[in-house]
Amino acid sequence: MKRKLWIFLALALVASFALTASAQQITLRYFMWDPMFEDMERALIDEFERQNPNIKVEMTAMDPSNYWPRISAMAAAGELPDVFSMSTGYFEQWAQDGLLLNIQEFVDRDLSTDEYFTEVFSENRYPDKQTGDLYAIPYAWVTPVLFYNMDMFDAAGLEYPDETWTWDDFLEAAKKLTIQTDPRRAPEQYGFFWYGRYAQVEPWVYANSGRILNENKTRVAIDENAREALQFLSDLTNVHKVSPPYKEIVGIAQADLFPLRQVAMWVDGSWNIENNRQIGGDDFRFGIAPVPKGPSYVEGDDTTYFWPDSVAISATTPHKEAAWELVKFLVGENRPIESYMAGKVPIHRGLAYSEEWLQKDKYPANMELILQQGEGTGRTTFTLGWSEWRGYAATGGAGMNGELDKVTNGEQNVDQAIKAITDYANSVLERYYPEP
Amino acid sequence: MKYGRITPWIFLLPTVLGLAFFRLGPILAAFFISFTRWNVITAPSWLGLANYRELLNSEVFWLIAKNTVIFSLVYVPGVMVCGLFLAILVNNKLRGITFFRGLYYLPVITATVAVGVVWSWILSPRFGILTRWLNDLGFVNVPSFLGDSRYALLSLVVVYIWKMAGYHMILFLAGLQGIPEVYYEAAKIDGATPWQTLRHITLPLLSTTTFFIMIIALIQSLQTFDLTFAMTEGGPNNASTTLSFFTYINAFVHFRMGYAASMAFVLFLIVGTITVINFWARKYWVNTIE
Repeated sequence: MKRKLWIFLALALVASFALTASAQQITLRYFMWDPMFEDMERALIDEFERQNPNIKVEMTAMDPSNYWPRISAMAAAGELPDVFSMSTGYFEQWAQDGLLLNIQEFVDRDLSTDEYFTEVFSENRYPDKQTGDLYAIPYAWVTPVLFYNMDMFDAAGLEYPDETWTWDDFLEAAKKLTIQTDPRRAPEQYGFFWYGRYAQVEPWVYANSGRILNENKTRVAIDENAREALQFLSDLTNVHKVSPPYKEIVGIAQADLFPLRQVAMWVDGSWNIENNRQIGGDDFRFGIAPVPKGPSYVEGDDTTYFWPDSVAISATTPHKEAAWELVKFLVGENRPIESYMAGKVPIHRGLAYSEEWLQKDKYPANMELILQQGEGTGRTTFTLGWSEWRGYAATGGAGMNGELDKVTNGEQNVDQAIKAITDYANSVLERYYPEP
Repeated sequence: MKYGRITPWIFLLPTVLGLAFFRLGPILAAFFISFTRWNVITAPSWLGLANYRELLNSEVFWLIAKNTVIFSLVYVPGVMVCGLFLAILVNNKLRGITFFRGLYYLPVITATVAVGVVWSWILSPRFGILTRWLNDLGFVNVPSFLGDSRYALLSLVVVYIWKMAGYHMILFLAGLQGIPEVYYEAAKIDGATPWQTLRHITLPLLSTTTFFIMIIALIQSLQTFDLTFAMTEGGPNNASTTLSFFTYINAFVHFRMGYAASMAFVLFLIVGTITVINFWARKYWVNTIE
């Protein structure tokens, strides 16, 4: 009898623990990298906490230059936050090192694919971009477009660019849009502007159905179509002089050249719409068009550069379900449009196709173009060691970026650049991918 | 309490512990890390000498080593001459001289990033005020000071000298004011020219200060990072990258801690060797008044 009582007491104790545990609050830690939008994100979190009373979220916002060293140290210490912002640039490394939770099941279970730009998800698949499982999920994405200054087109008496434009049309317009009154000095206005930056080069390569990487994305192998695109870009600067050499535009934030009305056309990511509006002011009239298709473009190849901004869940979180609830909320339709800077597209179709996002009363008037590109096939040049061989941000002066800048400066030709890029990039890639 | 043999050590303990944990510890850790491959987010794996081998076989590394040497060779004499010149200038007993002392010191306390942004603008070929002035003076083909690989590194050195000359001015000024007035009076009576006074009185009596400044300037030149970061990002195509900038990039952008640590050790060896040589050479040119 006594023994039964003991068993009963023990069971009761266990049960009471279980009860208190379930009633207890779960606390999730969430790290994001955009202090600019901290207040909005906080409001979103408040709403999430209201809907999920048993989950509390501790949010930390840091700018990217502090974010990565900090979060890497946390990963090393095994103390990753439950949910955190993830960049495509570092995704491969983190997925390979087993730090990210496989969220494929959750996505299959809870998300209706026609509500999202699912093609953009592919950048967050591992190990393969088409068939792998999801290890992060985007809340926003961007894609490159051709920006054009409407006033300059009007002044030159030119039609605005559209999807029918070829490279010849583009070149003709660029020539007419380049204005130089004193031949001894640099032109006052250039028709176009490019340098070695990924967001300004890869779009032209893809628009000519070219490839920079091999099939497995383990080595740089610049094919003939890509070479043709690079040659076209080089000629714009060195032969037709419709684009400034890189050395001429240093000292100015490169993204400001177009809104400062120095150049008539420009190819870069759609997120620049925000900066164009801010720097250009209210009277800055500009439009967007697809990057013109090259002569070797294969009909039906709708490949575009996509770059998602994502959130990931730590592989070691004890609260998988709660973390997923938060992630689902962060990428869902509750996120306010104001938390997307103009030109960044919500991953949720409902939000993207809303009046608030399309902003018909502002320039550019045809934001739908960006959404159309979102239905195409996404492709990037991201690999392990990408920032190292491609040259990006703080290393913009190095790698492929630096070699192409030398081309614009007239210090080497495209073939020399391709050789230098291939040799250097593959010496980097061999370290990360011993097998090609 | 009696003042025993261990008493001073008790007072020294906080400093010694601080040095051991926050200086010596990281140095030793970095030494071991330099033999590993470590991306911070996973455990390091042992590589032996592979990082050092890669370093010595890398063309980029040798270019950067060359840049570092050029940077130091121009910066150290440049900043010393400018600092000394300013110090002699503000060593005069004129009204309002403290204003100028403050003025020349201003760049030193200005945030490097701000200096970088303003100078990038001044040197910018398209909007820069310097280019515009030179154009107005009749020079047409003004080079791109920061965008041309031939000039980028030197432009950085010049801006860095501009920023740091005031710092060395203060040090030289302290040295100058320690020289007794009587020597100058004697020289004046003997009919020495200003150049002779400088050559035979000021410079020899300043040599301890000069020695100190040389060491400091050398270390500064080898550690330059923030101005490069703010102005050229090491470009164009690594033309203005120096060792400490490259170490930072490898450690905190590429997350190649092992490789970065091996680079930091090479830098450490260079600084160490030069400093030892300096201390050895000191006895031949530095006057120490005992």
